[in-house]
Amino acid sequence: MSGIGMLSVNDQMVIEKHLGDFLGKSEAQWTALVDRGGNLFSEAGDIGTLDVTVLSALAAGSFSATKELAKRLGEKEFMALYHEGLHISILMMSLYYDCLLLTVFSERTNIGLVRFYAQQTSVSLNACLETASQSSALAEPLTIDSELSEHGTIIS
Amino acid sequence: MAFINYSKREIQLKIVYYGCALSGKTTNLVNLHQNVMSTQKGELVSLATEADRTLFFDFMSLNTQTLPGFNTRFQLYTVPGQPVYNATRQLVLKGVDGIVFVVDSHWDKMEDNVESFANLQENLIENHLSLAQIPYVLQYNKRDIENPAPLYYLEYCFNNRANKVLSFEASAKSGQGILETLNGVARLLLAKYSKSTGANKEQAPTTP
Repeated sequence: MSGIGMLSVNDQMVIEKHLGDFLGKSEAQWTALVDRGGNLFSEAGDIGTLDVTVLSALAAGSFSATKELAKRLGEKEFMALYHEGLHISILMMSLYYDCLLLTVFSERTNIGLVRFYAQQTSVSLNACLETASQSSALAEPLTIDSELSEHGTIIS
Repeated sequence: MAFINYSKREIQLKIVYYGCALSGKTTNLVNLHQNVMSTQKGELVSLATEADRTLFFDFMSLNTQTLPGFNTRFQLYTVPGQPVYNATRQLVLKGVDGIVFVVDSHWDKMEDNVESFANLQENLIENHLSLAQIPYVLQYNKRDIENPAPLYYLEYCFNNRANKVLSFEASAKSGQGILETLNGVARLLLAKYSKSTGANKEQAPTTP
């Protein structure tokens, strides 16, 4: 199973607060909670015109692709992955329930600071994910009163 | 696994195009990207080799307002078809909600098609899933070639079961049948959220 099934309004607010706090302390540019299936759950910060959906999918793919390398080195998987660019870098940290904390940061800050606060934030986010997963398991399945015709067009 | 965000009123669903090498999975996405309304689609990202063969995956997202009060975001992925990239196919299947299995209609690709279908089932098991759980449709692609394998033969090979799944004839190169295929799998995925169609509705019989 990948990620969690749903996020309530309250879960979302708590997660957004943690992400916002993390961003302020680390001076990073953008941070997001995603799952390894590529779903974007929550984000904070400003990434400009970049498509965050694409960014999430690529980051999730990139993180998952290192699993085999970790195995060869005797690790189950890597806990974090860091790509350093000339001006922009990205840190990905593994969380519970197949989720990831993605952080994009510029030269304004440094990897040490970002990593330090990312580790603190990952503890808080793991607790949130635990709560969200429990409420997701107990929640009634979502049904919407709508007319979804047998042969109707959804995408045109 | 579908993700529902009540705060943003959004449902995210992952659809994977699966099939043997050069069956037309990437062509499906490229033509979809060209043909769907610009307000609905995100960027098409292709992680390909220099020879334009898919190395990791192709990806694009599509937004719809089909269910009232909820924005539905379909995330479309393809897998690399070449046998050597099996680990990548397993990764891309992570969290999958629906599958389009693309069948190449060339006679000499039948063995590859069958192997790929078996490989899909094996890789779903690796992800603790099965075709019985995941809604999927079949796309018989390249129907515009000379002497394609007949439909009844393809149905016999890939849809020979008690509960037949939806199947579509297509020519991804010309764009014929690709929207119908995507709408087919999207309807299956959204049916479980819609009261009018009933939760966990069984898949409809074949409509070639």
